[in-house]
Amino acid sequence: MGLGQRPIDRNESWRRRVLALTTAAMVGFFGLLGQLWYLQALEGGRLQEMSEKNRIRIRPVAAPRGILFDRNGLPLVDNRPAFTLSLIPHELDDRDTVLARLSVLLKIPLTELQDVLDKAPPDSIRPQRVRRGLSLEDVTKIEERRIELPGVVVEVEPQRVYPTSTFAAHLLGYVREVSDEQMKQGHYRRGDMIGQSGLERLLDEYLRGRDGGERIEVDALGRPVQVMRREEPDPGAQVITTIDRRIQEAAERAMSRRAGAVVVMDPRNGDILALTSSPAFALDRFAGNLEREDWLRLVRDPMTPLMNRAVQSQYAPGSVFKVVVAAAGLQEASLTPMDRTYCNGEFHMGGWTFKDWKKGGHGHVDLRLALIHSCNIFFYQAGLKVGPEAVVRYARAFGLGAVPGGDLGGEKPGLIPVVQPGRQRHGRGWQAGDTVNISIGQGRLLVTPLQVARMMGAVANGGILWKPRLVQRVERSDGSIAYSSSSKSTGHVDLSPAVWSFLRHALTGVVNEGGTGSAARIPGVLVAGKTGTAQSVANSDASKGQDHAWFASFAPANDPQVVVVVLVERGGKGGQVAAPIARQVYEALFLDKVAMVALEGES
Amino acid sequence: MLRFDRRLLQNVDWPLVATALFIIALSVLSLWALAPGRTGGPLAWRQLSWVGVGLAALLVVISVDYRSLVRLAPLFYAVGVGLLLAVFVLGRTVSGARRWIHLGPVTVQPSELFKLVFVLALTWALTSWRAPSLSRSAIFGTLILLGVPFVLVVRQPDLGTALVLVPVAVTILVGVGVRLRVLGGLALGGLGVLPLCWLALKPYQRDRLLVYLDPFRDPLGTAYNVIQAKIAIGSGQLLGKGPSGATQSRLAFLPERHTDFIFAVFAEMWGFIGCLVLIVAYGFLVLRGFEIAAKTAEPRGQLLALGVTAVFATQTLVNMGMVTGLLPVVGIPLPLMSYGGSSMVVSLMGLGLLLSIRMRQFH
Repeated sequence: MGLGQRPIDRNESWRRRVLALTTAAMVGFFGLLGQLWYLQALEGGRLQEMSEKNRIRIRPVAAPRGILFDRNGLPLVDNRPAFTLSLIPHELDDRDTVLARLSVLLKIPLTELQDVLDKAPPDSIRPQRVRRGLSLEDVTKIEERRIELPGVVVEVEPQRVYPTSTFAAHLLGYVREVSDEQMKQGHYRRGDMIGQSGLERLLDEYLRGRDGGERIEVDALGRPVQVMRREEPDPGAQVITTIDRRIQEAAERAMSRRAGAVVVMDPRNGDILALTSSPAFALDRFAGNLEREDWLRLVRDPMTPLMNRAVQSQYAPGSVFKVVVAAAGLQEASLTPMDRTYCNGEFHMGGWTFKDWKKGGHGHVDLRLALIHSCNIFFYQAGLKVGPEAVVRYARAFGLGAVPGGDLGGEKPGLIPVVQPGRQRHGRGWQAGDTVNISIGQGRLLVTPLQVARMMGAVANGGILWKPRLVQRVERSDGSIAYSSSSKSTGHVDLSPAVWSFLRHALTGVVNEGGTGSAARIPGVLVAGKTGTAQSVANSDASKGQDHAWFASFAPANDPQVVVVVLVERGGKGGQVAAPIARQVYEALFLDKVAMVALEGES
Repeated sequence: MLRFDRRLLQNVDWPLVATALFIIALSVLSLWALAPGRTGGPLAWRQLSWVGVGLAALLVVISVDYRSLVRLAPLFYAVGVGLLLAVFVLGRTVSGARRWIHLGPVTVQPSELFKLVFVLALTWALTSWRAPSLSRSAIFGTLILLGVPFVLVVRQPDLGTALVLVPVAVTILVGVGVRLRVLGGLALGGLGVLPLCWLALKPYQRDRLLVYLDPFRDPLGTAYNVIQAKIAIGSGQLLGKGPSGATQSRLAFLPERHTDFIFAVFAEMWGFIGCLVLIVAYGFLVLRGFEIAAKTAEPRGQLLALGVTAVFATQTLVNMGMVTGLLPVVGIPLPLMSYGGSSMVVSLMGLGLLLSIRMRQFH
């Protein structure tokens, strides 16, 4: 358009047009100023009031934690609604007064309340948890004085509830508020309840679910006016374990008032049916507010109730280890079932005298009788014949000295010695006395109850070492499978079928032919097992001589379906203490068969 | 290309630079005050680092003669359209829209950058064709240059950016002297196309437009932003509540408060007096931009300065208009104020173009 004009005119009309556009823009800016004047000067007072009343609360809706079921669908834990006391910093207008009132009302130390607030931004509208598991009485007190306590709220959240306070404590593990240390990992929110041990910790990520929340508008009294936005919580996934609640209860009952562990495993697939450790701790103490002193008392308890003895405590295997020596000797052909010896109760070697547990000895014994009666003299000689290298090699083949891999945290590997003859730079070298010692499961040998269960499982099933399985599957709330596991074999013991059959036969005799394990005998089912009495390291005169009692067994002997291992700390003799406990577990396992035999006996 | 003689330095528009830096300082302060400590600090720092990047880009723009940039405009345009297309392939979806491309640790919003590219391309098209029937070819070329990115940006969907392109194109057409009669015809044509646009809009975009017409249609959904922003601005009253009293902004009642709605935060904190100062500053920037355009004799410089100023003015007016409830919410950042790297860098590059044109207008 402007191209035909002279340059001066062209620039003149260009300027005119730019001026017009500038004017248009300026009109826009003036319009804006007008609107601002309207909003801020004319409507300002009203809108200011609205901003004062604009109280929005964020109400977190906690996701219910996933439930753990036993293999038959019985719940091992459950949830119930519980009251939580929280403070909303933004609504605490008169902070000191409100805190003082609350402190007096509920007898909560003022410092505890202040600590909570110090950890949150002072104008946060998120409720900060003070205390969980509030009693109904306390809730009533707060609700009655609601007007005097602005910023104090009671929330309802799901909380763990247990069949009994100590049921399967080590297996399930406890749930506790996230610690300051764990907060640093960054994927938790303050006040989150997270699994701190056992299955609760192992499966925490599945069990926790995702919290929801509501954004609600509230009036000056904190009463909800309307829900502005709601996000539904996503409940935690459900876990189907391999545990059999009835067996677990029976094992715990059998171990009551004893220190030790019971492991019940299916030798056909490695499923753990029960796993106990005693003394146990009270799970429900952790659900609410655990006082610091209570926690310290628990940690410092000389009986170490927090320790899972089934996987974390290591003991000498005692005579249970004779199974390994016999297996090694038979397979390597350094022992035969026909080997016989005369046991007079004493064994002399290099100026030392090793004694049998039975004064006067067992008389003439062969390998089978030596296992049945747990004759030490026979096995001293047998161990020397087999040689320490072979014994140690077979011990490792049976999974001893290595972590069983059962997913429960803190599993211990035990200890299998390294045989190095001759003088060593540090300490002395391997000597014949050491061989004699390990032949009866003493000396530098340590095992955990779970390891012994795996070993006994291999004897029962002909050599397969299973990875202990605790979790069958994890199902999300929408029914999809988040995790599932199948049985996994993690080792194999290669012995000839004749050796396996000999061992099973001999172990059946231990229980059923007047052997050391007779106390585990039940009607209707053939139990096979081996007792052990392990010398404990004496810490003081009082505990001296109190040995650890072992009973490692499986049943039915001809078609093994279950392995039961019992360890009683400082309990005494395996046959007298551990075997009767195993019998109680078997009675629960084979309830119908035992009952049937009893009925037949009556009629 | 780098003819950097002393005359160039003598002609730097220092008041323009000072005003821009003043607005940037207010932006960083507001971000800082928004949430002191935990999130506010890093946000303000990151904004400052973007200012650093933007100033570097500004220096690069200044050191190059804008005429060579206009000559390269077709290339820029092709790359720009390519980037807009790339968003569909490489883009990451943030709150329902694909507007960003990841480049290592930073995300880039190509539609921001395209605003300047668009102005360069229009300038190139309208100054390079010397056909006698300028008006018709000008309008036709402009429509094509506008149409392609418009469709792409609407599809992202980034309605705000797309709507900025239209007033910018109109401004430039007015600048080259297209008759109002012709523009009126175009506007009528545009009205005819409107129903089609309505059909192409995403449901949430339709909601926003409806809410503009009647804010209480849905007080807790889409209108929430508008109502909360109005409350925030109004409660600032004449003198403002200061950074600590600005409950609306600090307590997160206000959504998008560090990006598109930062003006509401500012208005709550500093009241009408603060807004007056800020608007005078923006008004001065726009006036100065138009003045540079008016005083330039060289045709490419004229249109470029006009276009850049139009981008700036449109974004400022539309953003403030939507935050104060005068216009529908369409998602346009406030230049130099809103948090965001692409917007800050592009704004400073635009400033660089204006400075560059003024520095060279006496050649």
